Amino acid sequence: MWIALLLALKTTTLPNGLEVSILDDPAMPVVATQLWYHVGAANEDRGSRGLAHLFEHLMFGGTAAYPKGEYSRYVTLAGGDENAFTSEDETVYVSAVPPSAFPGILLREGDRMRSLLLNEENLANEKKIVTEELRLRTENDPMSRLLVEAQHALLAGHPYSFDPSGSKEDVSRATVYGCRAFYDAHYRPNHAHLVVVGNVSPEETLRQVEESFGAIVPGGVTPPEIPSLLDWTYPDKLDLKEDIPPVEIALAGMPLPPADAPDAAAVEVLRELLTGGSLDPFRELVVTERGKALEAGIEWLGLKRGGGVVFYAASLPYRRRATAFRTIDDGLASLDGLAWLTDETLDAAKRRLRTEDLGARYYAERMADRIGEARWHRGDAASALTWSDRLDAVTREEVALAWKRYISSGRRIRVYVKPERVPVLIRMFGWLYPLFS
Amino acid sequence: MALPAVLLSAAAAAWSVDGATQAVLFEDHRAPVVTIVVELPVGTWSPFFERRDGETAFTFQDDDSGRSLRRRMDATGITIDLDVDRRFSVMRATTLTDRVPEALGLVQSILANRDYDERELSRHRRERKILWHQTDTDVGFKLSQAAARELFAEGDPRRTAWEKPPDASTNGAALAEARDEILRTPGRLIGFAGDVTRADAERWAAGLLPPAGTAPSGVAPAFAPVRPAGDRARERDLPIRKLTQVYLAYVRDSIPLDDPRRPAFLIADHVLGGHFYSRLVTALRHEGGETYGAGTRDDGDVASGVYRVSTFTRADNAAHIEGKLRETLRVFRQDGITEEERAGAVSALSGARAFARQAPAQLLARYRLERRLGLPEGAIDATIDRAAEVPLAEINAFIRAFYDPAAFSMLRAVPR
Repeated sequence: MWIALLLALKTTTLPNGLEVSILDDPAMPVVATQLWYHVGAANEDRGSRGLAHLFEHLMFGGTAAYPKGEYSRYVTLAGGDENAFTSEDETVYVSAVPPSAFPGILLREGDRMRSLLLNEENLANEKKIVTEELRLRTENDPMSRLLVEAQHALLAGHPYSFDPSGSKEDVSRATVYGCRAFYDAHYRPNHAHLVVVGNVSPEETLRQVEESFGAIVPGGVTPPEIPSLLDWTYPDKLDLKEDIPPVEIALAGMPLPPADAPDAAAVEVLRELLTGGSLDPFRELVVTERGKALEAGIEWLGLKRGGGVVFYAASLPYRRRATAFRTIDDGLASLDGLAWLTDETLDAAKRRLRTEDLGARYYAERMADRIGEARWHRGDAASALTWSDRLDAVTREEVALAWKRYISSGRRIRVYVKPERVPVLIRMFGWLYPLFS
Repeated sequence: MALPAVLLSAAAAAWSVDGATQAVLFEDHRAPVVTIVVELPVGTWSPFFERRDGETAFTFQDDDSGRSLRRRMDATGITIDLDVDRRFSVMRATTLTDRVPEALGLVQSILANRDYDERELSRHRRERKILWHQTDTDVGFKLSQAAARELFAEGDPRRTAWEKPPDASTNGAALAEARDEILRTPGRLIGFAGDVTRADAERWAAGLLPPAGTAPSGVAPAFAPVRPAGDRARERDLPIRKLTQVYLAYVRDSIPLDDPRRPAFLIADHVLGGHFYSRLVTALRHEGGETYGAGTRDDGDVASGVYRVSTFTRADNAAHIEGKLRETLRVFRQDGITEEERAGAVSALSGARAFARQAPAQLLARYRLERRLGLPEGAIDATIDRAAEVPLAEINAFIRAFYDPAAFSMLRAVPR
C-alpha cells in the first residue's frame, strides 16, 4: 500500500518561495504540520548565541489576529500537540491535530510568519524562561556539562561550537530591535518549508496554504553556508573532568561528512552496521574478547553539515591514559579487518533500516519530520520516501570505503574524561580489577 | 470522533492458546512489518523478582556464552528487545513479514537458553554498582526516591524500586531456572500486530511457548497501605552537588486508574497542569517567567502511586516560585474550575485519543496495558467518556478534597 506514498507526496513552491510538501494518507487519524525555517543556532552572529532559540520562544507571543496563547489553546482544545525546536541547523514549528482542526493550523502559522507582535514585556519574560531552560539543559546534569564543554572546546570557532540554548550573557543582551532584525532576515516564505502529513485533500490543502501564506512578501537574507565538519581543524586532544561515576573514559572521535555528501547513504549503512545491531563490534573486541575495559562502545552524531563517530572505552581510575588510547587504537586496527562486514550482516542492517522506515510510516508526526529533514539536510523532500531504496542499493565495497575514508584513515581526536571524585576503596584497590575480570 | 476505516477494523482478535496463555492479534496490512510480543505476568514489583533476581534472569537470557543468539539477530535483521516493567516481563520481536518464522525461532531459542554468559553477568554486576554513584547527581531520581520514601512503607515495592539494588546474580544456572519459572507462570500473553493473518497467528501462537506450570510464590505485588499524610514529612530538602537551580516536587498519593474518582481527577489534573496554558504553566511560566517547565505527573496504575506537582527555577528564586505554586494550588482548591475549563478538558482528552491509534503496535500496547492491570478492554477510553459526564460541582468537590495541602509533602532538590 505504501508504494503509493511517493505518488501521494505533492511538492510545490509558491510564487513567494515557500516550499510546500503535502503527503495524503487517508489511514492516518491525525494531521501533522511542520514549518521548517531554514535558520538555526549555527547561523547566529557571535555575541548573540541563543538568539535563534530565544526567537523560537517569541514566536508564541501572539499576533493581532491571534493573541498570545490562542494558538496553544486552539490546539489543546482539539486534543492535539503543538511545540517547536531549535537545532544547530533549523527552527521547526510542529503541531498534530485531528483532521477537523487542521485548517486552523495553517491560518495561525501563516499569520505569525510575518505578523508577530514583538514587545519589551514579552521579550523580558521569554529571556527569563529561556535562561531557565538553558540552566536545565546545560548546567544541572554532569553529562550535559561535559557535552557542552567538549562541544565548545573541540569545535572552537565553528558555528556548531555552541549548544543551541546559547549563552546566558548573550540571551540577557537580546533586544527587541535585534529580534526584529532576526525575524525580518529569516522568517520569510522563501526561507521556509511547510510540510503537511495526514488524511487531507492535497488540492484543498494547497488552496488553504495559498490563502494563508500566498500574500506574504519574500525577502530576508540567506545565511552563509556552514563549513563542513570534515574540513574543520580540531585540537589533537582534550582533557575533561566532571562529577561522573568513578570511571575514566577515553574517547577517539572522527569527523563525518555532511548529510548530503555523495556517500551519505553508505555512511548511514555503516552506522547501522556498527551501532544498530544487537552486538557492538567494538565492544565485543575490547570488552568481551580482550577484557581491556569495563565498558566500550560507539556513538554516532549527525548534523546537516557533518557529524562525528566516537569510540569510547571506560575503566576504573587506575589506568594510564596511553594504555587507554592504545586499547582503542588496537580495537580500531582489528576492526580494519572488516570481519563485521559480510554480505549477511550488510543485508541484515539494510533490513533493520527498512523495518524502521516502514514502522515510521504509520505516524504523521514522524513522516512530517522525515520530509522536512530530507528537504533541508539532503536537498530533496521526496527522498524521505525513497531513502530506503538508496540504502538498499549500498554495496559492501561502498561501506568498506566509507570506513576507510572516515574512520580508519580519518583524523583521530582524543578526549579523556576523569571523575572529580573517586571512592577510597576504588582508589586503593581499583588496580586489582583486571585480576578478577 | 470519527476514525478512518482502516483503524476501526483493527479491533483485537483474541483467543485462548491454552489454559494459561492468551493470544491477541491486531491485523493491519499497510506495511510488511510484524511485531510479536511475549508478555509474562511477573515484574519488578513481584517479590519473586527480588528473591531470584528476575530482572537479570529475564534481560540477560539473550546473552549466551558464545554470543550465538545475538549473532543470529544480527544476521537476520530481526530486532529483539527484552524488558521488565513493574508488573510484567516482555520480549518484543520486530521484523519484516518474510522473516516471521525466523523471528519466532529466535524467540524460542532465547526462551530456551540455559547457557547464560557469566562473564557478561559479572560485568553487569560491576557496572550496576558503579552506575549507582550516578544517582547522587540525578535530580529526577532523587526526587522520585524521596517521594517513594515519604509515601510508601519500607518493603513496599513502590519504594524498593528506588533503593540501591542488591548485587546482581552471576549464577547462570540459577538465573536460567528463575527465567523458566517466569516463563511457566500462567497468565501469559502472545501478541501480534501488523502484517499477520489470523490463521497464521493462531498457528504460530500454538507452538511458541513451552507448557505453563503453576505460578511461583510471590508473583503478585504485596503493597502496604500508603503511609498516612500525618506520618509524612511536610517538607524535605535534598542537597545535590553543583546545582544552579532548585527543583520542587509537591507530592501525594495518586488516584488509581480504576478508582471511581478517576474521571473527576482527569478533568482537574488537565486544568491544573496538563497543557501549555494550564493553571500552573500560566502562573509560573507565562506570568513572570519564573520557570521553563511546570506541570503534574501521576506514576500510579491500579495501585496508588506518586502524584506530583513540579517545577524548577534558579536557586535564588526558589522561595518566590514555591510561594506562587502554593498560591496557585490554594486558589485552584478554593475556587475550583469553571464550566469553560471543564468543557475544554473534555474536548482535549477526547481528541487526544486519536494519537494512540496510529499504528497496530500502539493498539497492542494499549490492549496489554489494560489486560495486565485487570481492566476491561477499552477501560482507559471509557474513563474519558465518563469524565465528560461528571458535573462541574462534583469535580470541584473532588478538587477540594484531593488538593488539600495537608495531604502533600514539598520536596526540594537544592544545591549542596
